[in-house]
Order: sequence, then structure tokens, then C-alpha cells
Amino acid sequence: MAQIELRGVSARYPSGGQVLDGVSLVVDKGEVVSIIGPSGSGKSTLLRVLVGLLPPSAGEVWLDGSRLDYADRKALTAARARLAIVFQQFNLFQNMTALDNVTVTPVKIRREPKASARARGEALLRRVGLGDKLGAYPDELSGGQQQRVALARALALGPEILLLDEVTSALDPEMVNEVLDAIRDLANEGITMLIVSHEMAFVREVSDRVVMMADGAVVETGPPGQIFDAPRTERCREFVSKILRH
Amino acid sequence: MDYTFQWGVALRYLPDLLQGAWVTFHLTFIGFWTGLVVAVFLAVGQLYGSVRLRRAISAYVVFFTNTPSLVTAFFIFYGLPEIGILWSPYVCVLVNLVLNAGAFLTDVIRGGVASVRVAEMEAAETLGFSMLQKIRYVIVPHVAKVLYAPISNLYIVFILGSALAAIFGVEELTGTAFNIASETFRTIEIYSLAAAIYVVMTVVASVVLALVGRLAFRVRARVL
Ligand SMILES: Nc1ncnc2c1ncn2[C@@H]1O[C@H](COP(=O)(O)OP(=O)(O)OP(=O)(O)O)[C@@H](O)[C@H]1O
Ligand SMILES: [Mg+2]
Repeated sequence: MAQIELRGVSARYPSGGQVLDGVSLVVDKGEVVSIIGPSGSGKSTLLRVLVGLLPPSAGEVWLDGSRLDYADRKALTAARARLAIVFQQFNLFQNMTALDNVTVTPVKIRREPKASARARGEALLRRVGLGDKLGAYPDELSGGQQQRVALARALALGPEILLLDEVTSALDPEMVNEVLDAIRDLANEGITMLIVSHEMAFVREVSDRVVMMADGAVVETGPPGQIFDAPRTERCREFVSKILRH
Repeated sequence: MDYTFQWGVALRYLPDLLQGAWVTFHLTFIGFWTGLVVAVFLAVGQLYGSVRLRRAISAYVVFFTNTPSLVTAFFIFYGLPEIGILWSPYVCVLVNLVLNAGAFLTDVIRGGVASVRVAEMEAAETLGFSMLQKIRYVIVPHVAKVLYAPISNLYIVFILGSALAAIFGVEELTGTAFNIASETFRTIEIYSLAAAIYVVMTVVASVVLALVGRLAFRVRARVL
């Protein structure tokens, strides 16, 4: 069953031109879909549309069979409660410790008991290798560590759908594997995932399907085997050959 | 140089000068921090209010930040009695201080709010924060942190600027020094002593503010 469905979604930033141009995409429940494509092709923008930060200028977004109404704040908040995003730039709260970043939403917004939220936050941070950084502020953490805090913050929400924007870009190779293991576990737990990544080996391994984007549009969609080994479009062949060469 | 220093005379008046310093202290303390409260409301009004409210607040800010506070004090001191409002010199100067501090601080706070990182606001938005929760957990901690030092510095500036109260006959530190100097003619000694007291006051204020800041912002935004 389609959990996320984009129907001809276009989007523009107030300050600029069209960034997404009629994107259609279906992601089934429990599916792991990766989005690849050159820098500036609109991958992050697509995720921003899904979390409601940027309303589409045309087209529709459907979640579990109901159309997302961007003008209805209540509905938007309800939809967001089921989604979690890890931003490309992490977007951590600079004035909160790692643990507070992870627990602020459960405790302050969702009013969960502190003790259990804290225990879960600590466990999540330990899981991403930050058990000794619970009290550190973002400006005291490396890029890779901040990224992992952001991942833990997203997981603390217990989302049905997880959106990951370049979560491995700031990680060293060793840490990449740990984070990828965590993501793989999540995939096995049946969380629906939409992953933007330049990490082709990972994309190939973890994805059920790969979406190649260029210039704000979907160029080709298919299983990893197709996209990487036998792309059907010239644009995709060109991109994949460039990326796989190094 | 045939001026003979006579510190003994000056020191005899030390208690009076300290009394004046006390007046300086409560004048600026009450005036400045009241101004800060005013400024918080005005800054919020300027950021989220209607167009008319914004214009009114801007006009106020532009007027007071571009007029010497001595001139606005004259307005209050000589203008208000014309329309039947009779305030003591102390109250006139205090109100002037509140209005001036309020204007400068409105600008400062607005700048601080404008510097809140978009990324954090977006994260809060996607995490389901309400407007009030964003203010409480994102904006206030940020603004308090980035504005603490500039506001502290402004406080020192206002302590020193409060000397203009002397012109209106308020017996704060400068006014007291002026009176004693014209009685004793130990002008240099008395003003040196007054200057030294100002230095002590501002240094103590800076240190206290720095300590409070360090304590308060170690904790930053607390969740657990
Ligand atoms: N806040 C913004 N305001 C205006 N234009 C923007 C903004 N953010 C992105 N853009 C533009 O939108 C286009 C798509 O950007 P987007 O961030 O979605 O690309 P991307 O595919 O995620 O790239 P990358 O791989 O580098 O992260 C770019 O041309 C970019 O310049
Ligand atoms: Mg991006």
C-alpha cells in the first residue's frame, strides 16, 4: 500500500525559480527508497516538501491515502508526528545538549514521562556511539557526531516514516558502517525510509528502489540493479558512470 | 601648577558622595531594567504586531535613539508641567531613562531575534513545536545568550549617562559632587573621588553581570 505518494509535485522557493518540476513518486509502507542525483537537483527540496516546510506550488502529496492539506496547521502537525527528518545540515538546537536535543520533543512537546524519555534518549545516543557525549552541546561536537545526534533525535520520535538527507556525508568510514547498520536495522523493523545519499555502495545495498533526479524532475526509477548496472536513460547512465568511477 | 591638593576635605564628604552613588545606582537599576521589560514587549510587537503597531514602535525607537537623552529629558522636565503633569526631578529623569533604554534595547533585542538560526526554527517546526514552544525553547535561549553581553555593556553606558540627572537637580553622584565642589572649591579632588566611585560601580556591575551570565547560561535550555 502506498504510504507516501507525490502526484506531479512542483515547488519553488520564494526567492528563486522552480526547483521541483512535476515530481511523481510512490513509496510503499516499509519500503526503503533512495534518491540520488547531482547537487542542486532538488533532493533536499523534495524532503522539505514532505515535512511541510515548503508547500508545493502544484501537485499533491498523499500520506496513507489522505491528501496533505498544507493550509491546515492541525492536519500538518498530525502528519508530521508520523514523520521524522534528519536534515543535511543536522539543524540541532545549539542551546541544548545532545541528550536534550533528543528528549526535547518527547518531553516538552509530546508530554511523555521524563524518566522513560531520558532512558530512551540515552539508549539511542549510545546506539549511535555517543554514550559519552550526552551532555555535550552541538558546538562541542564534530560534524559526524552532530549528524548522529540528529539521527538519534529523529529515532526518538518513533516515526513511521524516516527521511534522511545525506546522513553519512560527515561521517568517517568506520562510523558510516555503524550508522548504516542502524539504518539497516530500521529498515528491517519495517520503517518506511526515503534516503538521499551519495554513498552508492550503501544505496545499492539498503534500497528496495532507487530514484534518480535531475533538474527537479525524476529521471528514472527502478531497483538498484537497474539503476546502477543497466540504467535505461542516458541521463542516468551518465550520472551513475561518473559517480561509480571514483 | 600652584594647585595644592587637599584630599582631607574631599574625604570628609565621602559619605555624601556615597549617598549620591546609591541614588545613581537605584535610578539606573530601576530605569534600565524597566526599560528592558518595556523593550521585550516592544520588540515582540515590532516582530509580530500589526503594521500600525510596528510603525508606531519604529517611530518611538527612531526618535529616542537619534535624540540626545539630555534633550528628551528637557522635554519631560519642562514640557510635562505645561500640560499639568508635575513630577519630581527624580521621576522625570527616571522616566527619561526608561524611555531611552527601552528604545535602544528594542533595537538590540530585535537584532537578536533576527539572528535566530533558520535551521533551528525549521527543526522545531517539523518536530511539532507551537509558536510559544519555539519562543520558549529556541528563541529565548538564543536571544538571551547572544544579547547578554551587549545588554550588559549598555547598562554600564546608562550608569555613566545618568550623570545628566545632575542638571535637573537630582542629587545622584554627579549632582552631589557638583554641590560639594561649589561649596568647598576642592573641585579636582571631589570630582576625582566621584570618578573613582563611578569606576568602582561600573566594575562591580560588570563583574556581577558576568558572574550571573556565566551561571545562567551554563545551563542554557534545560529539558530534563
Ligand atoms: N532556501 C532556498 N532558497 C532559494 N533557493 C534554494 C533554497 N534552497 C535550495 N535552493 C535551490 O534549489 C535547488 C535545489 O536545491 P536542493 O537543496 O534541493 O538540492 P539537492 O539536490 O539537495 O543538492 P545537494 O546534493 O547539493 O544537497 C538549488 O538550485 C538551490 O540553489
Ligand atoms: Mg541536499
